[in-house]
Amino acid sequence: MSLQPDSTQVRSATKTRLLVVDDEPTLRLGFAYALTNPATVAETAANGAEALQFLEERCYDAMVLDLRMPEIDGLAVIEEMRRRGNTTPVVLCSAYITLHSAVAAIHHHVVDFLMKPVKPTELRSAIASVVEEADDCVLARALGQVRKGRISQGVEILRGAKPAPGTREDSWLRILSTMNDNPGDLEKIESELTDNILGQLAYKLD
Amino acid sequence: MLLRLRLLLGLLTLVILLWATGAAALVIINEADSEIQTRLEQDYKAVDLAGSFRTETSAINTVYVVTLASPAPEEPLDRTLFDRAKEDLEANIEELIVLGVDNQRWMTSIASLREALGLYFADYERLLSNQVTDPGDRSSLLRSFGSHTQRITDLASSISHLAEERLFNASKALADESGKNTAFLATLVVLGTAIAVLIYFQLLRHLVDPVVGLRDSMEQVSMGNFEQSLPIPSSGSEFSSVIQTFNSMAEELRVRRLDTDERLFKKALVNRALLSAIPSPVYVLDVQGNTVQVNPAAETLNEALGIGTRLPGKVLKLFRNCQDQGINHMPEDPREALLFRIGDDEHYFLPRIFRFTADQGDERRYSGWAILLHDVTRIRWLDDMKTNMLSTVSHEIKTPLTGIRMVLHLLLEKETGALSEMQQTMISSAKDDCERLLTTLNLLLDISRAESGSTHLELRPTDLTKLAEQSVGLFQSNASASGVSMEIQADEKLPQVLADPMRISEVIHNLVSNAIKHCPPKGKVDIRLSRFGADHVRLSVFDDGPGVPEDCEERIFERFYRAPGQSTDGIGLGLFISREIMRAHEGRIGLAEKTEKHPRTEFFIDVPTT
Repeated sequence: MSLQPDSTQVRSATKTRLLVVDDEPTLRLGFAYALTNPATVAETAANGAEALQFLEERCYDAMVLDLRMPEIDGLAVIEEMRRRGNTTPVVLCSAYITLHSAVAAIHHHVVDFLMKPVKPTELRSAIASVVEEADDCVLARALGQVRKGRISQGVEILRGAKPAPGTREDSWLRILSTMNDNPGDLEKIESELTDNILGQLAYKLD
Repeated sequence: MLLRLRLLLGLLTLVILLWATGAAALVIINEADSEIQTRLEQDYKAVDLAGSFRTETSAINTVYVVTLASPAPEEPLDRTLFDRAKEDLEANIEELIVLGVDNQRWMTSIASLREALGLYFADYERLLSNQVTDPGDRSSLLRSFGSHTQRITDLASSISHLAEERLFNASKALADESGKNTAFLATLVVLGTAIAVLIYFQLLRHLVDPVVGLRDSMEQVSMGNFEQSLPIPSSGSEFSSVIQTFNSMAEELRVRRLDTDERLFKKALVNRALLSAIPSPVYVLDVQGNTVQVNPAAETLNEALGIGTRLPGKVLKLFRNCQDQGINHMPEDPREALLFRIGDDEHYFLPRIFRFTADQGDERRYSGWAILLHDVTRIRWLDDMKTNMLSTVSHEIKTPLTGIRMVLHLLLEKETGALSEMQQTMISSAKDDCERLLTTLNLLLDISRAESGSTHLELRPTDLTKLAEQSVGLFQSNASASGVSMEIQADEKLPQVLADPMRISEVIHNLVSNAIKHCPPKGKVDIRLSRFGADHVRLSVFDDGPGVPEDCEERIFERFYRAPGQSTDGIGLGLFISREIMRAHEGRIGLAEKTEKHPRTEFFIDVPTT
C-alpha cells in the first residue's frame, strides 16, 4: 500500500485532474486518497503558495481548498488565482466559515462549501457535482451559473423556482440577489446578511 | 420668702390701707358733722337768746314804760311781770356767758350787755318804786328807758352778729379742715396705688417672668436646643422647684441626646465604613426614587459619567421598571450586565435592585430602594477569554480530528485493502469515538458562539407545529429503536410565532431527543402546542421518564450540568444552548412543576407570536 495515491497507472490525458490543498497532512492524504480512482487523479499541495505554483504549471478540473491555512489562506489563494484569470472551480473546505469569507468566496464564483468534518462520500459527491456540472435540481443549475460567473442568471433561476422560506434554495436566493444588487460592495452585502444563513450554504449530500 | 406670702402681705397692706382710708373718711365726716351740729345749736341758741333781749324788753316796756306818759299812779305798779322778765334775762345772760366763754369779744359784749341791763333794771326799780312823780322826771326817765332799751337791743343784735360770725368762722374752719382731710385721703389713695403698683411689679417679677422664661426655654427645647438652662430663683419660691425640674429635664435630654448622637455617629461611621468597603457603586434611594446616599464608588462612577448623584440612565430605566412592578431585579448572569463607557474603557455593571423595608412595629414604616452595580468587567473579560479559548482550542482539535476521521472512513471503505475482523472492530470503535469527540467539539463551538452573542436570529413568521412535525420525523427512527411512540397535539388556529426556524428547531430537537432518551421502553412522548397568554405559543414536550430530581431542577439549564446518576450519554449542553436560543428570542424555556394532576415530565418553550 503506497502512501501517496497511485495516479501513474491511469492515462492522465483522459483523467479528471484534481488539486487538494490542505495544511493538515492526514487530511490531505485522506482527501487525495478518497478522490483517487481510475478516472480521477488527485494532486496535493501543502499550502497556498504551493497551490498557486501548481495552478500556474498545470490545469485542473477542480480544486479542494482549505480555508484556514498559515501565510496564504484559502481566500487569498482564490483571489490570487482569479486575479491571474484562472477559473478553475473551487470547493472550499473548512471547519468554520464566516460571513465575510463566504461573501468573498461567492464574489469569486466559489459556491461549493464543504463543512469539516467531511465523510469521503460527501467529498466525492461534491466534487462530482462540480466536475460533471450537475443539473438535476434547481439549486445545482443556479449554482452552475454562478460558478461560471453569471450571478444574475443564478438569481433568475432560483427566483423562478419560488423557494419556500427556510430552505437552502431560499437562503441561496437571498445571498445571491443581495450580491447581484450590490455588485462588488462586499461590506454592504455582509451588512445586509446575517450569520445564520451560513448553515444553509454548505453542500449537503442528498 | 414664699411668693404666696409676699402676695398675701402685699395684698394685706393694700386691704389695711383701704380700711384705714375708709375709716379715716368716716371719722372725718362724723367729726365735721357733730362739730357743725354743736356749732349750729350753740350759735342758733345764742342768736335766739340775743333775740330774747329785744322781745323781753319790748314786752315789759309796752306794759310799764307807757305808764310814764301819764302822771304817776297812786298805787305802785304790779312788778310780777318785770321780775319774771328780769329773771329770764339774767338767766339768758348766764347762758350766753357759757356759750361764749372762750371768746374775748363775746365776753366784752356780754359784759356791756350786762351793764346796760343793770342800768335798765335800775330805771325799772325807780319806776316801780313809784318815786318819780314829777312829770319832768318821768319824761327824762322815759327817755332813759328809750336809750337803755336801744342800747340793750343794739348789744343783743351785736351779740347775735357775733354768733353768726362765729358760725361763719366755724364753717370756714371746717372747710379748712376738710381740705386737710382731702389731702390726707389723697395721700392714702396714692399710697395704696403705689403699693398696688409695687405688687404688680413684684408679681411680674416673681410670677410672670419665670413663666415666660420657662415658656421660652420650652420652645428652645422643642426646637431641639437642650443647652438651655434657667437661673434658679431664690429658694422659697414655688417656681424654684418647677425650674429645677425643668433644668434637670433639659439636662436629662441633653445627656440622652449626647448618647443618641454618639450612637448615631458610630452607626454612621460603621455604615460609611461598610459602604466605602464595597468596591461596587451603591445607591440608596427613597421610595420615590430620590437619591438618599451613595458610596464613594458610586461617587467616582457618577463623576466619571458626569451625572451628579442621579442614577445612570440605563440603571434608572431598570429601576423605574422595578418601581412600577414592585419587584426586585437580581440578575446573576454577567451577560445581563450593562455597558458603561468611561473614557476609553468599557465597564460592565450588573445592576442589582432591591427594595428594603424597615418595619418598626408601629406606624413608622420606612422603605426605599438599594441599587448595587456589581462590576463584572473582569468576569466578563475572563468569560470572553474562556469563550475564545474554548473556540480556539476546539478548532485546533477539530482540524486534525477531521483528518483522522477521514482516514478512518477511508479505511473502513476498504479501498486500501481488506481488513481483518479485529481491524474492522478496532477502526469502527475509533471512528465512533472520533464522531463523539466531534459532536462534543461542535457543541463547545456552539456554546462559544452562543456566548459571544454571534447567534444572530433571522426572525420570521413561523409555524411552530410544522417545526414540531419535522422534529418528530427526524427522531422517529430513534424513538422506534427504543420502543417509544410519539404524538403531536396542536390547538386549532394557532398563531404563527416570530422566530428563527433553524434555531427554534434546534431547541425542539433537543427537547424531543431528551424526552426519548429518558422515556422508558414502550413509553410515550407527547408534544402539545397551545396558546400561552396573549402573545406566546407554548410548545410542551411530555415524557414518561422519571423526570428531573428536585434538587437539580434549578441547575439543569447550566452548561455542562448533568443530573447525577444519568446513564444516557451527553455532556450537558443541550438545555444550556436551548436556553440561550430562547433568551435571544425573548422567549422562555422551562421545566413544568409536577403535580398530582400532571405527573408527567414536561419541558416547555414559550415563543412570542408575530
